[in-house]
Amino acid sequence: MDFRFTEEEEAFRKEVRGWMKKEITPELRQDMEGLSWIRANDKPHTARIREFGLKLGSKGWLGMNWPKKYGGQERSIIEQYIVVEEVAFQWIVIPNHYAVSMEGPCILRHGSEEQKMDYLPRICRGEVELALGYTEPDAGSDLASLQMRAVPDGDDYVLNGQKTFNTSCHYADYHWLAARTKFDVPKHRGISMFIVDLKSPGITIRPLYTMAGGRTNEVYYDNVRVPKENLVGEENRGWFYVVEALDYERVMTFLPAPLQFMVDELVKYAKETRRDGRILAEDPIIRQKLAELAIELEVARLLHYRALVMLDKEVIGNYEPAMMKLFAGEVAQRLTNTGMQILGPFGLLQENSKWVPLKGRIETGYRATLMHTFGAGSSELMRNIIATRGFGLPTR
Amino acid sequence: MDVNLNEQQEMLKKMARDFLISECPKSLVRAMETDEIGYPLELWHKIADLGWPGLAIPKRYGGEEGSFLDLVVLLEEMGRACFPGPFFPTVILGASAILEAGSDEQKKDILPKIANGGLLLTLALAEQDAQYEPDNISTKATACKDGYVISGTKLFVPDARVADYMVCVARTSDISNKEQGLSLFLVDGKSQGIVFTPLQTIAGGKQYEVILDKVVVPPQRLLGSPGQGWYYMKKVLQKAAVAKCAEMVGGAEYVLEMTINYAKERVQFERPIGSFQAIQHHCANMATDVDGARLITHEAAWMLSEGLPCTKEIAMAKAWVSDAYHRVTTLGHQIHAGVGFIVDHDMPLYFRRAKEAEVIFGDADFSREIVAQELGL
Repeated sequence: MDFRFTEEEEAFRKEVRGWMKKEITPELRQDMEGLSWIRANDKPHTARIREFGLKLGSKGWLGMNWPKKYGGQERSIIEQYIVVEEVAFQWIVIPNHYAVSMEGPCILRHGSEEQKMDYLPRICRGEVELALGYTEPDAGSDLASLQMRAVPDGDDYVLNGQKTFNTSCHYADYHWLAARTKFDVPKHRGISMFIVDLKSPGITIRPLYTMAGGRTNEVYYDNVRVPKENLVGEENRGWFYVVEALDYERVMTFLPAPLQFMVDELVKYAKETRRDGRILAEDPIIRQKLAELAIELEVARLLHYRALVMLDKEVIGNYEPAMMKLFAGEVAQRLTNTGMQILGPFGLLQENSKWVPLKGRIETGYRATLMHTFGAGSSELMRNIIATRGFGLPTR
Repeated sequence: MDVNLNEQQEMLKKMARDFLISECPKSLVRAMETDEIGYPLELWHKIADLGWPGLAIPKRYGGEEGSFLDLVVLLEEMGRACFPGPFFPTVILGASAILEAGSDEQKKDILPKIANGGLLLTLALAEQDAQYEPDNISTKATACKDGYVISGTKLFVPDARVADYMVCVARTSDISNKEQGLSLFLVDGKSQGIVFTPLQTIAGGKQYEVILDKVVVPPQRLLGSPGQGWYYMKKVLQKAAVAKCAEMVGGAEYVLEMTINYAKERVQFERPIGSFQAIQHHCANMATDVDGARLITHEAAWMLSEGLPCTKEIAMAKAWVSDAYHRVTTLGHQIHAGVGFIVDHDMPLYFRRAKEAEVIFGDADFSREIVAQELGL
């Protein structure tokens, strides 16, 4: 047992942190402020953001654990996580986060040699992003019931249907798309995965603006032709790739790191702010609340690291990533709500007010973290997974 | 990063579990709740033969020289089995106090006897406010020609009746900084002037009120430097808090397993109740509490074992696990419903112990205040 990162990993973390300090200029921070994962906010990437992604790539910090022949560094997934975590501590994101954390690992395991040689090096260089294309209007929690159709026609598949809540499609290069290729079988045995160029004729992207101040999209496919070589893995095995990639999404996206940042800020605020003639930190109720947040975050961190270590050892956790995501999502909501309580009326102020505390991040977080208990699988689904996959409770 | 037990710890865990399944059935646990002494001698001798009391005592004092983390592995299994007897007060409270405060001579005298199971200890700390703070300790130890004379009333002294010695926290000087006037004494349980009164508690544990009336303690039974008692006691209480967490984790894990099994078997509306999402979600919440409790306890225990500063992590563990065990037993009862409410069922054993473990050695509020201090608030 050892709850520490190794000395080498700590040294690497220090290197990453030092580099970030240098590279994250006030201008870049301004561009990125709205991009932090906690807001689920996706403006089109500015030139500065793209440049930052390329720089991360040239450092070799994207796809770090992948084979060298595909552009990786053959280092550990823990080190890749350290980069993701350090970026999150800075309240920003890796510009092609989804490609690095979710689709890339899946291409590596199930893609053809041509696909690996084509996409992985470009992901490692920070050049391309792949947007997730799962959810449909009638396929949310019951994702396997998706109806987007892919029908073979010559050298292509022809795709028709509608996706929704497909975040980042408006600036990503490719769509990581789940579509139905077989119709007369149980619903999860007829799905295939495709990589689709988002500039293909017949694709229409329409914005959906979220209450967190961000943007997601509806995406329409009208007779979109996708070359057969863009099928990932085996036809009709797509569902299993989706499920596998979801574990990566949960571990790599729902990090406790930005929450740590908020707790640190709230502690600082409580120490510096006077109310009713005394320092906020002297109030026993405030002390209890902040201590409880710190404790919940510690538990979230431990559940998170456990799932991460399992990914690193390539043990497919049957419930651990779901448990970590369930817990972290609920902690995020409790944290921002408690933060709002502590800030009182000042918590209502938005980021541009001259009176706003903590840059308005608690207020935006309070709106944005609503998504954490339904995005990437609702808390109820996480509980179903823990109970059935984890502990063998019967499904009927 | 490695959150798992090592191979030897896994073996210890399995060995302890198998042993306790055969030697410590629930019928015995129930019988001991109403037994005056509270533990069977035969079982005590068997665990002594296995080396359990000396597991974390250094070799030169007759122990096995295991780590505190090893002890935590064992305590989880004891919590799982509702192990009756003075293991916790002897090993966690008594032996730890001697290891922290005792002279080499005292250690050589006492620890080998603890390790071989021949000597039982306890801790007489709390008084009328039942807090784990130095301020309100008013039991006095006054120097006299034969050593010290101690007078005062102690509460919640576990297994006091059977303990050969009590580590007694008493005030040796009235100075303004109350932490500094306290000293530790090893008081012979058979000394003149001691009256034990059992306290009936929710968990059926052997808790006592102990009245010390001019009890004479020879000078060689002073533990550590006079006036430094609280300094040692803080370390003992930290170990006690983590050790209590370990017992809770073991108990919570068993309640989860028992509840899952019941949900798979119990049929209503022509299907196992475990197929209903309402029940599944209760179980998932219990599992999340169990896993979180185990991880945060192991983190604190590992840090203690490694000698890393961990005041914050220990307090975090005690706060979280105390609340989590309460939630787990409450949901376990909700799913077992009527059958779990019957006194012969195993659920009540855990529900009652959960509440005791929650409040002893600092409840969640108390522990969160320590966390607040550690956050710099």
